[in-house]
Amino acid sequence: MKKILLVEDEKALSLLYEEELEREGYEVVVAYDAESALEQIRKEKFDLIITDIRMPGRDGIELIASIMGLRKDIPIIINTAYQSYKDDFMTWAADAYLIKSSSLDELKNKIKELLEKSSS
Amino acid sequence: MPELRKDILTGRWVIISTERSKRPDDFRPAPGAEPRPESLSFCPFCPGNETKTPPEIMALRQPGTKRDQPGWQVRVVPNKFPALQPGPPPPKKTNGIFQWMDGVGVHEVIIETPEHHQEMSELQLEHLAEVLKIYRFRIREIEEQYHHQYVQVFKNKGKEAGASLSHPHSQIIATPIVPKRIKEEIYGAERLYRSHFRECAFCRMLREEISSGQRLVYKNDRFVVLTPFASRFPFEMVVIPQKHSAFYREISDEDCLALAEALKQSLLRLKLQLGDPAFNLVLHHSPNPQVSDKAWPGIENYYHWHIEIMPILTKVAGFELGTGFYINPVPPEVAAEYLRNTSISQR
Repeated sequence: MKKILLVEDEKALSLLYEEELEREGYEVVVAYDAESALEQIRKEKFDLIITDIRMPGRDGIELIASIMGLRKDIPIIINTAYQSYKDDFMTWAADAYLIKSSSLDELKNKIKELLEKSSS
Repeated sequence: MPELRKDILTGRWVIISTERSKRPDDFRPAPGAEPRPESLSFCPFCPGNETKTPPEIMALRQPGTKRDQPGWQVRVVPNKFPALQPGPPPPKKTNGIFQWMDGVGVHEVIIETPEHHQEMSELQLEHLAEVLKIYRFRIREIEEQYHHQYVQVFKNKGKEAGASLSHPHSQIIATPIVPKRIKEEIYGAERLYRSHFRECAFCRMLREEISSGQRLVYKNDRFVVLTPFASRFPFEMVVIPQKHSAFYREISDEDCLALAEALKQSLLRLKLQLGDPAFNLVLHHSPNPQVSDKAWPGIENYYHWHIEIMPILTKVAGFELGTGFYINPVPPEVAAEYLRNTSISQR
Protein backbone atom coordinates (compact mmCIF):
# COMPACT_ATOMS: atom_id res chain seq x y z
CA MET A 1 0.00 0.00 0.00
CA LYS A 2 1.43 3.41 -0.98
CA LYS A 3 2.06 5.73 1.93
CA ILE A 4 1.27 9.45 1.67
CA LEU A 5 2.29 12.22 4.06
CA LEU A 6 -0.34 14.96 4.14
CA VAL A 7 0.82 18.28 5.59
CA GLU A 8 -2.23 20.47 6.27
CA ASP A 9 -2.84 22.77 9.21
CA GLU A 10 -6.63 23.02 8.82
CA LYS A 11 -7.89 20.04 10.81
CA ALA A 12 -11.32 19.75 9.14
CA LEU A 13 -9.69 19.81 5.72
CA SER A 14 -7.01 17.28 6.65
CA LEU A 15 -9.72 14.93 7.94
CA LEU A 16 -11.58 15.21 4.64
CA TYR A 17 -8.42 14.55 2.59
CA GLU A 18 -7.39 11.68 4.85
CA GLU A 19 -10.75 9.93 4.49
CA GLU A 20 -10.94 10.46 0.74
CA LEU A 21 -7.40 9.26 0.11
CA GLU A 22 -7.77 6.24 2.38
CA ARG A 23 -10.88 5.36 0.39
CA GLU A 24 -8.64 5.41 -2.70
CA GLY A 25 -6.48 2.76 -1.04
CA TYR A 26 -3.60 4.86 0.29
CA GLU A 27 -2.17 4.85 3.78
CA VAL A 28 -2.25 8.46 4.96
CA VAL A 29 -0.19 10.05 7.72
CA VAL A 30 -1.15 13.61 8.68
CA ALA A 31 1.18 16.33 9.95
CA TYR A 32 -0.22 19.71 10.99
CA ASP A 33 2.95 21.74 10.55
CA ALA A 34 6.37 21.65 8.87
CA GLU A 35 8.31 20.58 11.96
CA SER A 36 6.20 17.50 12.64
CA ALA A 37 6.22 16.70 8.90
CA LEU A 38 10.03 16.65 8.93
CA GLU A 39 10.02 14.44 12.01
CA GLN A 40 7.74 11.97 10.19
CA ILE A 41 9.95 12.01 7.09
CA ARG A 42 13.04 11.23 9.19
CA LYS A 43 11.20 8.33 10.86
CA GLU A 44 9.25 6.77 7.99
CA LYS A 45 9.51 6.22 4.26
CA PHE A 46 6.79 7.91 2.22
CA ASP A 47 5.91 7.41 -1.43
CA LEU A 48 4.48 10.90 -1.87
CA ILE A 49 4.02 14.14 0.08
CA ILE A 50 1.15 16.62 -0.23
CA THR A 51 1.73 19.95 1.44
CA ASP A 52 -0.11 23.18 2.03
CA ILE A 53 1.95 26.40 1.82
CA ARG A 54 0.54 28.75 4.44
CA MET A 55 0.94 27.12 7.82
CA PRO A 56 1.91 28.36 11.26
CA GLY A 57 5.69 28.39 11.73
CA ARG A 58 7.73 27.41 8.70
CA ASP A 59 5.70 27.49 5.50
CA GLY A 60 5.31 24.75 2.92
CA ILE A 61 8.04 26.16 0.68
CA GLU A 62 10.58 26.07 3.51
CA LEU A 63 9.39 22.55 4.28
CA ILE A 64 10.02 21.47 0.67
CA ALA A 65 13.52 23.00 0.76
CA SER A 66 14.26 20.99 3.93
CA ILE A 67 12.87 17.80 2.37
CA MET A 68 15.24 18.31 -0.58
CA GLY A 69 18.09 18.16 1.93
CA LEU A 70 16.88 14.74 3.07
CA ARG A 71 15.44 13.16 -0.09
CA LYS A 72 15.16 14.60 -3.59
CA ASP A 73 13.39 11.65 -5.20
CA ILE A 74 10.10 11.78 -3.32
CA PRO A 75 7.22 13.23 -5.37
CA ILE A 76 5.72 16.36 -3.81
CA ILE A 77 2.41 18.04 -4.55
CA ILE A 78 1.78 21.59 -3.39
CA ASN A 79 -1.91 21.88 -2.57
CA THR A 80 -2.72 25.46 -1.69
CA ALA A 81 -5.50 28.00 -1.87
CA TYR A 82 -3.03 30.58 -3.13
CA GLN A 83 -2.19 31.13 -6.75
CA SER A 84 0.41 33.79 -6.00
CA TYR A 85 3.18 31.42 -4.84
CA LYS A 86 3.52 30.15 -8.42
CA ASP A 87 5.89 33.06 -9.04
CA ASP A 88 8.25 31.68 -6.40
CA PHE A 89 10.85 29.53 -8.14
CA MET A 90 11.31 27.53 -4.94
CA THR A 91 8.00 25.84 -5.78
CA TRP A 92 9.84 24.15 -8.67
CA ALA A 93 11.13 21.68 -6.10
CA ALA A 94 7.59 20.27 -6.11
CA ASP A 95 6.30 18.09 -8.92
CA ALA A 96 2.88 19.71 -9.07
CA TYR A 97 1.16 22.86 -7.90
CA LEU A 98 -2.57 22.50 -7.36
CA ILE A 99 -5.11 25.06 -6.23
CA LYS A 100 -7.42 23.70 -3.53
CA SER A 101 -10.86 22.85 -4.78
CA SER A 102 -14.06 21.37 -3.38
CA SER A 103 -13.55 18.46 -5.79
CA LEU A 104 -10.58 16.23 -5.04
CA ASP A 105 -10.51 14.66 -8.52
CA GLU A 106 -7.55 16.73 -9.75
CA LEU A 107 -5.56 15.88 -6.61
CA LYS A 108 -6.39 12.18 -6.88
CA ASN A 109 -5.42 12.10 -10.57
CA LYS A 110 -2.14 13.87 -9.87
CA ILE A 111 -1.29 11.47 -7.02
CA LYS A 112 -1.95 8.50 -9.32
CA GLU A 113 0.12 10.02 -12.14
CA LEU A 114 3.12 10.82 -9.92
CA LEU A 115 3.10 7.46 -8.14
CA GLU A 116 2.99 5.64 -11.50
CA LYS A 117 5.84 7.79 -12.78
CA SER A 118 8.01 7.23 -9.71
CA SER A 119 7.53 3.47 -9.75
CA SER A 120 8.23 3.13 -13.50
CA MET B 1 -5.55 28.78 -19.17
CA PRO B 2 -4.95 32.41 -18.14
CA GLU B 3 -6.70 35.21 -20.05
CA LEU B 4 -5.46 38.40 -21.63
CA ARG B 5 -7.98 41.18 -21.08
CA LYS B 6 -7.93 44.60 -22.74
CA ASP B 7 -8.64 47.88 -21.01
CA ILE B 8 -10.44 49.52 -23.94
CA LEU B 9 -9.83 53.05 -22.63
CA THR B 10 -6.05 52.86 -22.35
CA GLY B 11 -5.35 49.98 -24.75
CA ARG B 12 -3.44 48.19 -22.00
CA TRP B 13 -3.64 44.40 -21.80
CA VAL B 14 -3.60 42.56 -18.48
CA ILE B 15 -2.85 38.89 -17.82
CA ILE B 16 -5.63 37.56 -15.60
CA SER B 17 -5.07 34.23 -13.96
CA THR B 18 -8.36 32.42 -14.18
CA GLU B 19 -7.49 29.41 -12.05
CA ARG B 20 -9.64 28.85 -9.02
CA SER B 21 -8.67 30.89 -6.06
CA LYS B 22 -10.00 30.76 -2.57
CA ARG B 23 -11.21 34.07 -1.16
CA PRO B 24 -10.48 37.76 -1.65
CA ASP B 25 -8.40 37.66 1.53
CA ASP B 26 -5.87 35.38 -0.21
CA PHE B 27 -3.38 38.19 -0.35
CA ARG B 28 -3.57 39.10 3.33
CA PRO B 29 -0.37 38.02 5.07
CA ALA B 30 -0.84 34.88 7.18
CA PRO B 31 -1.08 35.78 10.88
CA GLY B 32 2.33 35.57 12.51
CA ALA B 33 4.00 34.69 9.21
CA GLU B 34 7.68 35.59 9.15
CA PRO B 35 9.43 36.49 5.91
CA ARG B 36 11.14 33.42 4.49
CA PRO B 37 14.93 33.36 4.96
CA GLU B 38 16.83 34.60 1.90
CA SER B 39 18.93 31.48 1.53
CA LEU B 40 17.24 28.13 1.76
CA SER B 41 19.31 24.99 1.54
CA PHE B 42 17.89 24.00 -1.84
CA CYS B 43 17.92 25.75 -5.22
CA PRO B 44 16.14 24.27 -8.26
CA PHE B 45 18.53 26.14 -10.58
CA CYS B 46 21.75 24.69 -9.13
CA PRO B 47 23.62 21.87 -10.90
CA GLY B 48 22.52 18.47 -9.64
CA ASN B 49 18.89 19.58 -9.42
CA GLU B 50 18.15 19.48 -13.16
CA THR B 51 15.29 17.01 -12.62
CA LYS B 52 13.41 19.70 -10.70
CA THR B 53 13.15 21.89 -13.80
CA PRO B 54 11.24 21.03 -16.99
CA PRO B 55 13.50 19.44 -19.67
CA GLU B 56 15.96 22.00 -21.02
CA ILE B 57 15.25 23.85 -24.26
CA MET B 58 18.94 24.45 -24.83
CA ALA B 59 22.16 24.75 -22.86
CA LEU B 60 25.73 25.82 -23.30
CA ARG B 61 27.52 22.70 -22.09
CA GLN B 62 30.97 21.29 -21.58
CA PRO B 63 31.73 18.69 -24.27
CA GLY B 64 30.68 15.17 -23.31
CA THR B 65 28.03 16.23 -20.78
CA LYS B 66 24.45 15.13 -21.20
CA ARG B 67 21.19 17.03 -21.51
CA ASP B 68 19.49 17.81 -18.18
CA GLN B 69 22.57 16.89 -16.26
CA PRO B 70 25.37 18.97 -14.69
CA GLY B 71 28.13 20.31 -16.92
CA TRP B 72 26.26 23.32 -18.30
CA GLN B 73 27.35 26.96 -18.25
CA VAL B 74 24.05 28.55 -19.29
CA ARG B 75 20.74 26.67 -19.33
CA VAL B 76 17.32 27.58 -20.77
CA VAL B 77 14.19 25.82 -19.49
CA PRO B 78 10.46 26.46 -19.84
CA ASN B 79 8.88 28.00 -16.75
CA LYS B 80 7.42 25.10 -14.76
CA PHE B 81 4.40 27.21 -13.75
CA PRO B 82 4.16 29.73 -16.64
CA ALA B 83 2.29 33.04 -16.72
CA LEU B 84 1.26 32.27 -20.32
CA GLN B 85 0.90 28.81 -21.81
CA PRO B 86 1.96 27.45 -25.21
CA GLY B 87 -0.82 27.03 -27.72
CA PRO B 88 -2.16 27.96 -31.14
CA PRO B 89 -2.78 31.60 -32.09
CA PRO B 90 -5.55 32.81 -29.78
CA PRO B 91 -8.53 34.47 -31.46
CA LYS B 92 -9.72 37.78 -29.99
CA LYS B 93 -13.05 37.34 -28.24
CA THR B 94 -15.61 40.04 -27.50
CA ASN B 95 -18.66 40.41 -25.31
CA GLY B 96 -20.27 43.82 -25.75
CA ILE B 97 -17.47 46.33 -25.28
CA PHE B 98 -15.12 43.87 -23.57
CA GLN B 99 -12.24 42.17 -25.39
CA TRP B 100 -10.09 39.26 -24.30
CA MET B 101 -8.17 36.24 -25.55
CA ASP B 102 -6.68 33.05 -24.17
CA GLY B 103 -3.38 33.59 -22.41
CA VAL B 104 -1.22 31.87 -25.01
CA GLY B 105 2.49 32.57 -25.15
CA VAL B 106 5.95 31.49 -24.10
CA HIS B 107 7.53 31.72 -20.66
CA GLU B 108 11.15 30.61 -20.33
CA VAL B 109 13.89 30.94 -17.73
CA ILE B 110 17.55 31.47 -18.62
CA ILE B 111 19.81 30.25 -15.81
CA GLU B 112 22.84 32.44 -16.41
CA THR B 113 25.46 30.47 -14.51
CA PRO B 114 25.79 27.23 -12.54
CA GLU B 115 27.21 29.26 -9.62
CA HIS B 116 24.44 30.19 -7.19
CA HIS B 117 26.18 33.28 -5.80
CA GLN B 118 27.79 34.60 -8.99
CA GLU B 119 25.84 37.67 -10.03
CA MET B 120 25.49 38.85 -13.62
CA SER B 121 27.96 41.65 -12.87
CA GLU B 122 30.54 39.05 -11.76
CA LEU B 123 30.37 36.86 -14.87
CA GLN B 124 33.42 36.77 -17.12
CA LEU B 125 32.85 38.95 -20.19
CA GLU B 126 32.90 35.96 -22.56
CA HIS B 127 30.36 34.14 -20.38
CA LEU B 128 28.04 37.16 -20.22
CA ALA B 129 28.39 37.51 -24.00
CA GLU B 130 27.17 33.90 -24.32
CA VAL B 131 24.09 34.75 -22.22
CA LEU B 132 23.41 37.68 -24.57
CA LYS B 133 23.82 35.42 -27.62
CA ILE B 134 21.30 33.05 -26.06
CA TYR B 135 18.83 35.94 -25.73
CA ARG B 136 19.33 36.50 -29.48
CA PHE B 137 18.89 32.82 -30.29
CA ARG B 138 15.72 32.44 -28.23
CA ILE B 139 14.20 35.62 -29.71
CA ARG B 140 14.86 34.35 -33.24
CA GLU B 141 13.37 30.95 -32.51
CA ILE B 142 10.31 32.22 -30.61
CA GLU B 143 9.60 34.80 -33.34
CA GLU B 144 9.23 32.02 -35.91
CA GLN B 145 5.64 31.77 -34.66
CA TYR B 146 3.68 34.77 -35.95
CA HIS B 147 1.45 34.94 -32.87
CA HIS B 148 4.44 35.49 -30.58
CA GLN B 149 4.15 39.16 -31.41
CA TYR B 150 6.51 40.53 -28.78
CA VAL B 151 9.34 38.72 -27.00
CA GLN B 152 10.14 40.40 -23.71
CA VAL B 153 13.52 39.56 -22.17
CA PHE B 154 13.87 40.73 -18.58
CA LYS B 155 15.74 40.18 -15.37
CA ASN B 156 14.57 40.73 -11.80
CA LYS B 157 17.40 40.86 -9.30
CA GLY B 158 16.65 41.03 -5.59
CA LYS B 159 13.46 40.49 -3.65
CA GLU B 160 12.29 44.11 -4.05
CA ALA B 161 12.53 43.68 -7.83
CA GLY B 162 10.33 40.58 -7.77
CA ALA B 163 13.01 37.85 -7.74
CA SER B 164 12.15 34.85 -5.59
CA LEU B 165 15.53 33.18 -5.98
CA SER B 166 18.99 34.71 -5.85
CA HIS B 167 20.52 32.25 -8.34
CA PRO B 168 21.18 34.51 -11.36
CA HIS B 169 18.53 34.13 -14.02
CA SER B 170 16.66 36.07 -16.69
CA GLN B 171 13.23 35.37 -18.11
CA ILE B 172 11.51 35.54 -21.46
CA ILE B 173 7.78 36.04 -21.90
CA ALA B 174 6.41 36.16 -25.45
CA THR B 175 2.95 37.69 -25.72
CA PRO B 176 0.30 37.35 -28.47
CA ILE B 177 -0.03 41.15 -28.62
CA VAL B 178 2.48 44.00 -28.71
CA PRO B 179 2.41 45.57 -25.21
CA LYS B 180 1.24 49.17 -24.85
CA ARG B 181 4.57 50.40 -23.47
CA ILE B 182 6.41 49.12 -26.55
CA LYS B 183 3.80 50.57 -28.90
CA GLU B 184 4.11 53.97 -27.20
CA GLU B 185 7.88 53.97 -27.75
CA ILE B 186 7.52 52.90 -31.37
CA TYR B 187 4.82 55.50 -32.14
CA GLY B 188 6.90 58.19 -30.41
CA ALA B 189 9.98 57.27 -32.43
CA GLU B 190 7.95 57.15 -35.66
CA ARG B 191 6.39 60.57 -35.02
CA LEU B 192 9.77 62.18 -34.34
CA TYR B 193 11.28 60.49 -37.39
CA ARG B 194 8.54 61.52 -39.80
CA SER B 195 7.72 65.02 -38.58
CA HIS B 196 10.88 66.33 -36.92
CA PHE B 197 14.27 64.71 -37.24
CA ARG B 198 14.14 62.63 -40.44
CA GLU B 199 16.48 60.31 -38.61
CA CYS B 200 16.19 57.91 -35.67
CA ALA B 201 15.46 59.90 -32.49
CA PHE B 202 17.63 57.52 -30.47
CA CYS B 203 20.60 58.14 -32.79
CA ARG B 204 20.06 61.90 -32.54
CA MET B 205 19.83 61.72 -28.74
CA LEU B 206 22.99 59.59 -28.58
CA ARG B 207 24.95 62.21 -30.54
CA GLU B 208 23.79 64.99 -28.24
CA GLU B 209 24.40 62.97 -25.07
CA ILE B 210 27.90 61.97 -26.15
CA SER B 211 28.68 65.54 -27.07
CA SER B 212 27.41 66.99 -23.75
CA GLY B 213 28.65 64.12 -21.58
CA GLN B 214 26.44 65.28 -18.69
CA ARG B 215 24.49 62.07 -18.42
CA LEU B 216 27.13 59.72 -19.76
CA VAL B 217 28.01 56.84 -17.43
CA TYR B 218 30.15 54.66 -19.66
CA LYS B 219 31.06 54.33 -23.31
CA ASN B 220 32.98 51.80 -25.36
CA ASP B 221 33.40 51.79 -29.13
CA ARG B 222 30.01 50.11 -29.69
CA PHE B 223 27.74 50.95 -26.72
CA VAL B 224 26.83 53.91 -24.55
CA VAL B 225 25.38 53.86 -21.02
CA LEU B 226 23.34 56.93 -20.03
CA THR B 227 21.04 58.12 -17.29
CA PRO B 228 18.04 59.21 -19.42
CA PHE B 229 17.22 62.95 -19.51
CA ALA B 230 13.75 62.27 -18.06
CA SER B 231 14.71 59.33 -15.83
CA ARG B 232 11.73 58.00 -13.88
CA PHE B 233 13.80 56.38 -11.15
CA PRO B 234 16.97 57.40 -9.31
CA PHE B 235 20.05 55.96 -11.05
CA GLU B 236 17.99 54.55 -13.92
CA MET B 237 20.29 53.67 -16.83
CA VAL B 238 19.88 52.85 -20.48
CA VAL B 239 22.37 50.88 -22.55
CA ILE B 240 22.19 51.80 -26.25
CA PRO B 241 24.10 50.48 -29.25
CA GLN B 242 25.88 53.25 -31.16
CA LYS B 243 25.16 51.48 -34.44
CA HIS B 244 21.54 51.97 -35.42
CA SER B 245 19.43 48.81 -35.22
CA ALA B 246 15.80 48.12 -34.37
CA PHE B 247 16.28 44.38 -34.00
CA TYR B 248 18.18 42.77 -31.15
CA ARG B 249 17.83 39.51 -33.12
CA GLU B 250 20.44 40.94 -35.55
CA ILE B 251 23.14 41.71 -32.97
CA SER B 252 26.57 40.37 -34.00
CA ASP B 253 28.81 38.18 -31.82
CA GLU B 254 31.30 41.07 -31.55
CA ASP B 255 28.53 43.39 -30.38
CA CYS B 256 27.45 40.80 -27.78
CA LEU B 257 30.94 41.01 -26.29
CA ALA B 258 30.90 44.82 -26.29
CA LEU B 259 27.38 44.78 -24.81
CA ALA B 260 28.58 42.39 -22.10
CA GLU B 261 31.27 44.92 -21.23
CA ALA B 262 28.76 47.81 -21.11
CA LEU B 263 26.30 45.80 -19.00
CA LYS B 264 28.99 44.63 -16.61
CA GLN B 265 30.21 48.19 -16.22
CA SER B 266 26.67 49.43 -15.51
CA LEU B 267 25.85 46.71 -12.97
CA LEU B 268 29.21 46.94 -11.20
CA ARG B 269 28.79 50.68 -10.81
CA LEU B 270 25.34 50.19 -9.30
CA LYS B 271 26.69 47.57 -6.94
CA LEU B 272 29.75 49.51 -5.83
CA GLN B 273 28.12 52.91 -5.50
CA LEU B 274 24.69 52.00 -4.17
CA GLY B 275 25.30 48.89 -2.07
CA ASP B 276 24.02 46.26 -4.47
CA PRO B 277 20.39 47.37 -4.85
CA ALA B 278 17.64 45.23 -6.35
CA PHE B 279 16.97 46.10 -9.98
CA ASN B 280 14.89 45.25 -13.01
CA LEU B 281 16.52 45.00 -16.40
CA VAL B 282 14.42 44.98 -19.58
CA LEU B 283 15.28 44.67 -23.26
CA HIS B 284 13.22 46.84 -25.59
CA HIS B 285 13.46 45.87 -29.24
CA SER B 286 11.27 45.72 -32.32
CA PRO B 287 8.26 43.39 -32.21
CA ASN B 288 8.35 40.17 -34.23
CA PRO B 289 9.34 41.28 -37.78
CA GLN B 290 6.40 39.27 -39.17
CA VAL B 291 4.19 41.74 -37.26
CA SER B 292 6.20 44.95 -37.39
CA ASP B 293 6.71 44.76 -41.18
CA LYS B 294 2.94 45.17 -41.54
CA ALA B 295 2.04 47.30 -38.51
CA TRP B 296 5.02 49.68 -38.60
CA PRO B 297 6.50 49.77 -42.11
CA GLY B 298 9.92 51.40 -41.97
CA ILE B 299 10.43 50.58 -38.28
CA GLU B 300 14.00 49.55 -39.09
CA ASN B 301 14.72 53.22 -39.81
CA TYR B 302 13.28 54.85 -36.70
CA TYR B 303 13.28 52.36 -33.81
CA HIS B 304 16.47 51.53 -31.91
CA TRP B 305 16.77 48.63 -29.46
CA HIS B 306 18.12 49.29 -25.98
CA ILE B 307 18.31 47.88 -22.47
CA GLU B 308 16.80 49.71 -19.49
CA ILE B 309 18.15 49.14 -15.98
CA MET B 310 15.90 50.31 -13.16
CA PRO B 311 17.30 50.08 -9.61
CA ILE B 312 14.65 49.74 -6.91
CA LEU B 313 15.52 52.59 -4.56
CA THR B 314 12.13 54.25 -4.11
CA LYS B 315 8.56 52.99 -3.99
CA VAL B 316 6.03 53.65 -6.71
CA ALA B 317 3.09 55.17 -4.80
CA GLY B 318 -0.32 56.77 -5.28
CA PHE B 319 0.70 59.79 -7.32
CA GLU B 320 2.76 57.71 -9.76
CA LEU B 321 0.01 55.08 -10.06
CA GLY B 322 -2.71 57.72 -10.41
CA THR B 323 -1.04 59.94 -12.98
CA GLY B 324 1.81 58.03 -14.60
CA PHE B 325 4.03 60.91 -13.39
CA TYR B 326 7.17 59.83 -11.59
CA ILE B 327 8.90 61.87 -8.93
CA ASN B 328 12.63 61.26 -9.19
CA PRO B 329 14.58 62.68 -6.23
CA VAL B 330 17.98 62.32 -7.97
CA PRO B 331 18.65 64.44 -11.09
CA PRO B 332 20.04 62.14 -13.81
CA GLU B 333 23.06 64.45 -14.23
CA VAL B 334 23.97 63.90 -10.55
CA ALA B 335 23.33 60.16 -10.85
CA ALA B 336 25.50 59.93 -13.97
CA GLU B 337 28.38 61.78 -12.34
CA TYR B 338 28.20 59.54 -9.28
CA LEU B 339 28.11 56.36 -11.39
CA ARG B 340 30.74 57.61 -13.83
CA ASN B 341 33.23 58.30 -11.05
CA THR B 342 33.37 54.69 -9.92
CA SER B 343 36.73 53.04 -9.93
CA ILE B 344 36.39 49.68 -11.64
CA SER B 345 39.09 47.23 -12.54
CA GLN B 346 37.89 45.11 -15.47
CA ARG B 347 37.03 41.38 -14.92
